[in-house]
Amino acid sequence: MKRYDAIVIGGGHNGLVTAAYLARAKKSVLVLERRPRVGGAAVTEEIFPGFKFTMFSYVVSLLRPEIIRDLDLPRHGLHILPLESTVTPMENGDYLAAWADHDETRRELCRHSPRDAEAYDEYGRLMHFMAQAVKPILSMVPPDPTSFAPGDLAGLLKLGKHFRGLGGERLHALVKLMTMSSADFLDEWFETDVLKATKSASGIIGTFLGPRSPGTAYVLLHHYMGELDGVFRAWGFAKGGTGAVSEAIASAARSFGAEIRCDAGVSKVLVRNGRATGVVLENGDESSASIVVSSLDPRRTFLQLLESHELPAEFVADIKRFKFRGSSGKVNLALDSLPSFSCMPGIGRQHRGAFSISPSLEYVERAYDDAKYGEFSRRPYMDIVFPSMIDPGMAPPGKHVMSIFVQYAPYHLNGGWTDAKREAFGDTVVNTVESFAPGFKSKILHRQVITPLDIETITGLSEGNIFAGELALHQLFFLRPAPGWAKFATPVRGFYQAGSGTHPGGGIMGASGRLAAMRILKDGV
Amino acid sequence: MKYDAIVIGAGANGLVTAHYLARAGKRVLVVEQHQAADPSADIGWIPPAVIRDLGLAGAGLRVAEPDPWITAPLPAGGTLELSRDIGRSTEAIRRISPADAGKWPEFCRRMRSLAGVLERLYLVPPPDIESNDVRELARIAGLGLYVRRLGKQTVIDLARVLPMSIAELLDDWFESDALKGLLGALGVWHLKQGPRSGGTAFNFLHHHAGSPIGVFRPTRSNITQALSKLPGVEVRRGARAMVLAKNGTATGVVLEKSGETIEAPLVASSAPPRATLQPLAIELYPDFARAVGNIKARGVVARGTLTQEQTPAYSTLCIAPSLDYLERAYDDAKYGKDSTAPYVEVQRTDGRVEVHVQFVPPGTHGGLAERVAQILKVRPNQVALQPAEECLYHGELTLDQILFMRPVPGWSRYRTPIEGLYLCGSGTHPGGGIPGAAGRNAAREIL
Repeated sequence: MKRYDAIVIGGGHNGLVTAAYLARAKKSVLVLERRPRVGGAAVTEEIFPGFKFTMFSYVVSLLRPEIIRDLDLPRHGLHILPLESTVTPMENGDYLAAWADHDETRRELCRHSPRDAEAYDEYGRLMHFMAQAVKPILSMVPPDPTSFAPGDLAGLLKLGKHFRGLGGERLHALVKLMTMSSADFLDEWFETDVLKATKSASGIIGTFLGPRSPGTAYVLLHHYMGELDGVFRAWGFAKGGTGAVSEAIASAARSFGAEIRCDAGVSKVLVRNGRATGVVLENGDESSASIVVSSLDPRRTFLQLLESHELPAEFVADIKRFKFRGSSGKVNLALDSLPSFSCMPGIGRQHRGAFSISPSLEYVERAYDDAKYGEFSRRPYMDIVFPSMIDPGMAPPGKHVMSIFVQYAPYHLNGGWTDAKREAFGDTVVNTVESFAPGFKSKILHRQVITPLDIETITGLSEGNIFAGELALHQLFFLRPAPGWAKFATPVRGFYQAGSGTHPGGGIMGASGRLAAMRILKDGV
Repeated sequence: MKYDAIVIGAGANGLVTAHYLARAGKRVLVVEQHQAADPSADIGWIPPAVIRDLGLAGAGLRVAEPDPWITAPLPAGGTLELSRDIGRSTEAIRRISPADAGKWPEFCRRMRSLAGVLERLYLVPPPDIESNDVRELARIAGLGLYVRRLGKQTVIDLARVLPMSIAELLDDWFESDALKGLLGALGVWHLKQGPRSGGTAFNFLHHHAGSPIGVFRPTRSNITQALSKLPGVEVRRGARAMVLAKNGTATGVVLEKSGETIEAPLVASSAPPRATLQPLAIELYPDFARAVGNIKARGVVARGTLTQEQTPAYSTLCIAPSLDYLERAYDDAKYGKDSTAPYVEVQRTDGRVEVHVQFVPPGTHGGLAERVAQILKVRPNQVALQPAEECLYHGELTLDQILFMRPVPGWSRYRTPIEGLYLCGSGTHPGGGIPGAAGRNAAREIL
């Protein structure tokens, strides 16, 4: 039986990135994926004949440019198309739009508030700067503040210097971004409610928090962190859906010699004398390797793949405390034709961008209130895109696919999720869209409703958390996933972690996978 | 009569600053807008240095140490009473949850250790992280070393717990709604946040500072009364003062009603930063003016008194039966309404029975007293509520408004852009709920 240098458990984008980097360094690598296809939560599937859906995640922006470069992803088929605009329909029939053209966006803002239009540029400059200031941290292995090792002390010192180098005003802005609610933070800048609602809605994606919850301001930065072809602030859509991103990384990994096996779920990591030696597959087969890497979330990685006696009790307690609380759902629709929104009637360029159903701060906050007490939102926040408008290959000619990201749908629903509850949730979503786009319902050919429980069942992400663990301040950096173990190694020698549940985590970024590979190579396989 | 310094406000912080200045040989006038002294008890830990330096023990200072320190009614009847003795509290908790009782001593120990770090930070001006001054850097390094010496667990707890919500923290430890409710209430104390909001664990620890292990309610005292009895400063009551400044330098104050001008080269204000600063020409300092305008100081508490025929059996009664109860009380306030079912706390100090009702946005409290009476099972005429106030702490204690961010980022050393004008109230570091700490720090900076 072949013995590999490394086995990577899980063929999501992070696992694939780790595998590609290891293979690129001439290691023999085997990737084991439980599902019939790679991608994890970044998959494109033909759910209904002719209609392809990005089942879960749907936009790309944060994918680290160094990964695109190092793995030469465009050569492997990665092609990102820009998402041009965001239109927010308001309850009074008006709308707020942000277009690709900056001047047009300014004019539009001016229509709502000249003061906000004025503040918008200054806000943009600050956020852009802050995003640049935070970015190096995404590519940095978090130093451990509890350790006295020279490397950690040097790391802390470097971090301290970096932050002090920002200068007073920006340092204060950073503290505010890390600690404030997006609503409070935006209140300091803007007066137009719908603008604040739409901006703060992006701060709550994937979290179990509302726009008035402290800790949501930080995510506002993400929108200024994306780099597509060197253009900041652009959200994009991968040609062929997010599955194409995974396929491109997989193709790159294969080109470096990695072996990728699907339909190969792993049930246990083999540990001998405190050292990982291989894995046992669900079908009973065993594979051995010098090191084993898990890109599953921390709960699955440590509480399922290992026996608890193989880990320190304190560490197991920390992992059990790590919070997942999935809060998002997805509704994928096959449409006979595009819907017309009453705030901006007709079919046009607005359909090439996103529609944000976030008409007011109170609307989004109330959506959260429902979830707090265990119900899905009666009037949910939604982020809607029409992938077939950007990539016609996603639907048969003349037809369309519609992707609706929905929040909030709590994993821990009162009484639990059932088929009836799933359909009720789907109805709520469709009816809410209908209220902004009358006649929309009659255009639906097929409907797929995905609850957080479905996300968990299909992708394996615990509690359906799309970030493999909440991106809350106390679960970031050297605390992700557990204090003392945020540097991709684990208490078991030869066993590493590489998923979004490690620093920096979240989104189709690939940074965790890359940092993990760097760490593994540094340790010397 | 010429003064060396004028202090605005005769609350605990204003008087502490005034007395420290007087002790340094300055002639000090304190100007207070209210004619009568506020009879309500002062809430919060008094730094021992203030008591010692100003000789408050000899001036009749009384600090209440109620035991049990809290009483909470249980839904099935009976009460949960927590005592100053950890063993007794553990036994009381055991009656509602053996699991929680098992964790209580360790929880108390861990929280005490974290509050200890805060205490150390609170008795000195906040660390200036921008400074390049060797002494300041050494001080920051010293703080870092101090924390490290407390052990790995404390470092991790600090990083994990401070940004957390009190609900997450308590859910990590306990299962009993009654216990989590009465502890969670301290996390939202004077804050426009619900227990599920990040940073409420910090607010909880802030109000634990200075308390003995296992006691999670700030002490109550008569410090303002004791300070008023101290000789050495002149106090003028019933006169609202505004700061006068010329060419960017404070020159004294003008009294609002009489128009009388009093000159002094130094003015220290313990009034809310916004009230002190906005009438001045701070638009000359646009960034500073914007920051002052952005201070969050949203009031959420209505206070009042309760008259009872008999002395109640408890010293502190807490009506916050669960974290969800507190969260729903906050939900109403989010949309600008009074809590339908508010969090109510009754405190008996020196025979006076005070009521704390949260969440109540300033001004709106129709029918509130009746609801509070119903919750407390007393007649409506026994509850007298004052109009709900602006934030008692002159700035909410959220993570973006503490330490070097308080009262506004970059101006945390009690100074203002106006030379000779200082701030010394609870709007400055370390904030409300610690009477005298800001006043003492400010006086030391001034001197």
